Amino acid sequence: MKRRAWLSWLWFAIGIVYFFLPLAATFLFSLKGKKGVLSFVAYEHVFADPQFLKTFGFSLEMAVFTVAAGLLLIVPTAIWIHLKVPKAKPLIEFFTLLPFVIPPIILAFGLIRSFSKPPLALVSSPVLLVVGYVIISFPYIYRSVDAGLRAMDLRGLSEAAQSLGSGWTRLIFSVVLPNLRTALLSAVFLTFAIVIGELTLAVLLAWPAFGPYMALMGRNLAYEPAALAILSFAMTWGAIGLIQLVTKSGKDKSSGIGVGAH
Amino acid sequence: MTALDERNDPDPADKSPPDPMGHVPRAARRKEGLAWLGLLPFFVFVFLFMLLPVASIFTGSFQDASGAFTLKNFEHLFRPNILNSYLVTIRVSATTAVLGGALGFLIAYAISLGGLPRPLRSFMSTFAGVASNFAGVPLAFAFIATLGRMGLVTVLLRSFFGIDLYDKGFNLYSFWGLVFTYTYFQIPLMILIILPALDGMKKEWREASENLGASSLQYWLHVGIPVLLPSLLAALILLFGNAFGAYATAYALTGGLINLVPILIGAQIRGNVLHDANLGYTLALGMVIIMTFSIALYSWLQRISSRWVK
Amino acid sequence: MRRVTVVALSAALLVALAPVAFAQSKQLVDAAKKEGQLTVIALPHNWVNYGEMIQAFSAKYGIRVNELNPDGSSAEELEAIKANKDNKGPQAPDVIDVGLKFGPEAVASGLIVPYKVSTWASIPDNVKEKSGYWYGDYYGALAFEVNTDIVKNPPKDWSDLLKPEYKGKFALAGDPRISNQAFLTVVAASLANGGSLENVGPGLQFFAKLNKSGNLIPLIAVTGTVASGETPITVEWDYNALANRDTLAGNPNIQVIIPQTGVVAGVYIQAISAYAPHPSAAKLWMEFLYSDEGQLIWLKGYGHPVRYADLAKRGVIPAALAAKLPPAASYAKVLFPSLEQQTAEGKAIAEGWDRTVGADIQKK
Repeated sequence: MKRRAWLSWLWFAIGIVYFFLPLAATFLFSLKGKKGVLSFVAYEHVFADPQFLKTFGFSLEMAVFTVAAGLLLIVPTAIWIHLKVPKAKPLIEFFTLLPFVIPPIILAFGLIRSFSKPPLALVSSPVLLVVGYVIISFPYIYRSVDAGLRAMDLRGLSEAAQSLGSGWTRLIFSVVLPNLRTALLSAVFLTFAIVIGELTLAVLLAWPAFGPYMALMGRNLAYEPAALAILSFAMTWGAIGLIQLVTKSGKDKSSGIGVGAH
Repeated sequence: MTALDERNDPDPADKSPPDPMGHVPRAARRKEGLAWLGLLPFFVFVFLFMLLPVASIFTGSFQDASGAFTLKNFEHLFRPNILNSYLVTIRVSATTAVLGGALGFLIAYAISLGGLPRPLRSFMSTFAGVASNFAGVPLAFAFIATLGRMGLVTVLLRSFFGIDLYDKGFNLYSFWGLVFTYTYFQIPLMILIILPALDGMKKEWREASENLGASSLQYWLHVGIPVLLPSLLAALILLFGNAFGAYATAYALTGGLINLVPILIGAQIRGNVLHDANLGYTLALGMVIIMTFSIALYSWLQRISSRWVK
Repeated sequence: MRRVTVVALSAALLVALAPVAFAQSKQLVDAAKKEGQLTVIALPHNWVNYGEMIQAFSAKYGIRVNELNPDGSSAEELEAIKANKDNKGPQAPDVIDVGLKFGPEAVASGLIVPYKVSTWASIPDNVKEKSGYWYGDYYGALAFEVNTDIVKNPPKDWSDLLKPEYKGKFALAGDPRISNQAFLTVVAASLANGGSLENVGPGLQFFAKLNKSGNLIPLIAVTGTVASGETPITVEWDYNALANRDTLAGNPNIQVIIPQTGVVAGVYIQAISAYAPHPSAAKLWMEFLYSDEGQLIWLKGYGHPVRYADLAKRGVIPAALAAKLPPAASYAKVLFPSLEQQTAEGKAIAEGWDRTVGADIQKK
């Protein structure tokens, strides 16, 4: 494998250059807040604004709820489809890909209209926002989980486990989920990033989220938006890195039945 | 290779003993019917929070501004500039899906099976998580700051190497400039989606094929690609959809130059000049129809590819 | 049907009671305070100094102002009223500030209710709807916003933009098929090139020429791109351009220039939502906006308040404030497209834009 490593390094390097150049350019621009010198004054302005951390914290909270709700809904559904009702796959895939073609403004106004009146008056509760976010994250969560389930021999594993006398819950928690780790992490990362940056739903449902805050800053300022972009990138990366770290420490106990699990 | 066959065998009905009458016994059918019940939570959620709220798309496209029934909106769909915008949107989405898919695959391979140190994988996969959603105005601005006329790279090339990109015909504000920018979030998405599939590729297969004297190309042709094909297709349709509905990046980068359907929808629903919301709904319906066709195509491709694997 | 009758009745009542409105203001203040909140929409803080306006109102009456969707377009404001008809929560706007064109549409869709403020009489007739459904609040003229650190020799007029020294330096601040500001820019260019408020063809041709010569970049100009020098010349409402100049504070230097020919002004209008959760607060807000105090706050934000002539006549404009605006002579040739003209112009530009300026994809 070592002799092939140089090619891997090449692609990795290309990737790094492509990804970091635009970030570097943004960072450089954000340092131009004071004429003629490089300074962090734009960052000082951002941190001086109490709304910055407040809105980021709110979106972080929403992200956690969305991830929980989304995984709770989709993981069992995906496992069920793979094991019991494969014929339902095209239909489920249709519904999970549909959010791509629903303009967020239509979803937002639709949710308001449908849920303004009792008995379903959810419009003033953050539940409606979370629900909207779950819908938007559908494609990513489903696709990640589906990819993970494909990569393992689910049927073989479940038959083996059942012949050894394990029940459904044991199967899911001790066999399937540990092997889904990579896929679940992908789903969590993707959903997190989406919710933290999401704009339209938060604006129209009138919640103090991070996306609208960033858009507001971007309206009339020049250097602060660039600083915000860098900061939000760094903070979201930090949050995701933490998730990776936390789940890693629990992983060492997982079983080795996995197919190619690291 | 039996494990592979089973993995790609989708239909449990095949496992039941062959019925001389040639149809599935009633007990199995009822069991299957009950199995659909397990999907109820999903369907209820989808109905309540997706279909119900956006029913206005479907009803609105059949109405005019005063609410009367009309098919005029669909007539408008066939105007040349609108048809053209659908074509352009499909072109942009397909191009970035393939480009992002290919590059994302190569990088994902590099960090999983390519023999790189493990920390690089965590680095790249967490980075991919953030980058996958770096889009819209911040992304457009980042590329403008890099490759625009006053961009970092443009200025460096001009000052240090005397090369003026724009004099040579390069233009960030074009179809390919947009594609290049879109891949910034397509590549990370691909990386995250294909990683589990790459993890599922057992090292033993590679070693076994090498021991049997197969070249790298033969390995890929007979083992690698067939195994990965379903996941690759699934990832591609996701990347396609991801680009299909996107517009904020395109709007910020190319303004009114490149006609994407989501921009047109925005122009009708929230735009201050045209403002024909019902036409906007119809355009959205058009996108739903195209997406449905794409999914149908994708499902068909999945079916024939699984047959190829066998 | 019943709703129309109710609206007509209340309109009639309000018309009848209008002269007495001023005398009722204490009652109005108390009712508004009782409601405790006002929900506004699409009011960026540095758009004609709305930031100060909101703060001043809130401080004066102790009413909390809930701000929705500052980035919203006029169309979105109407959509927000429509979507929130049954919702009395914080997502439903009480008052709207929209482009002139949207007044009749809002009335036709039953989205707004009439209310004549106490200073009604001093609002010019050509910017108000007879029954008080909507009336103009402020206006501005389209001006060149130039980053003079990059462009040492700023353009003075539309024809200057075609000069080769401005290659790759001009961008619109919006898409003319979507944004008010952008499509009126095309109208202004048309006026400067032999067109009229009825004929925007010359404007489209001007931009076709600008595009062909490479002077026009398809990018949407925002403060960031003007500051970075990517789009050092753009066209915006003078109040926005001046506010940007102040915000950037010399980093970089911005000059705001009213073109010598082709000067177009746009009026925005205020109205109260028919489904406002806080109708008294809404009325109080209107009274505040149209009081001398409110009008001067707009003037501070470089907007021409609609009662400008009346304020000037009574000598209530502080000299220092008047000096901060561009010289009155620049506005001598200003033209106000009427409602009908704007609708027709918008349609012509939206349909002609793709053909003339080319939505053809350029292959790299």
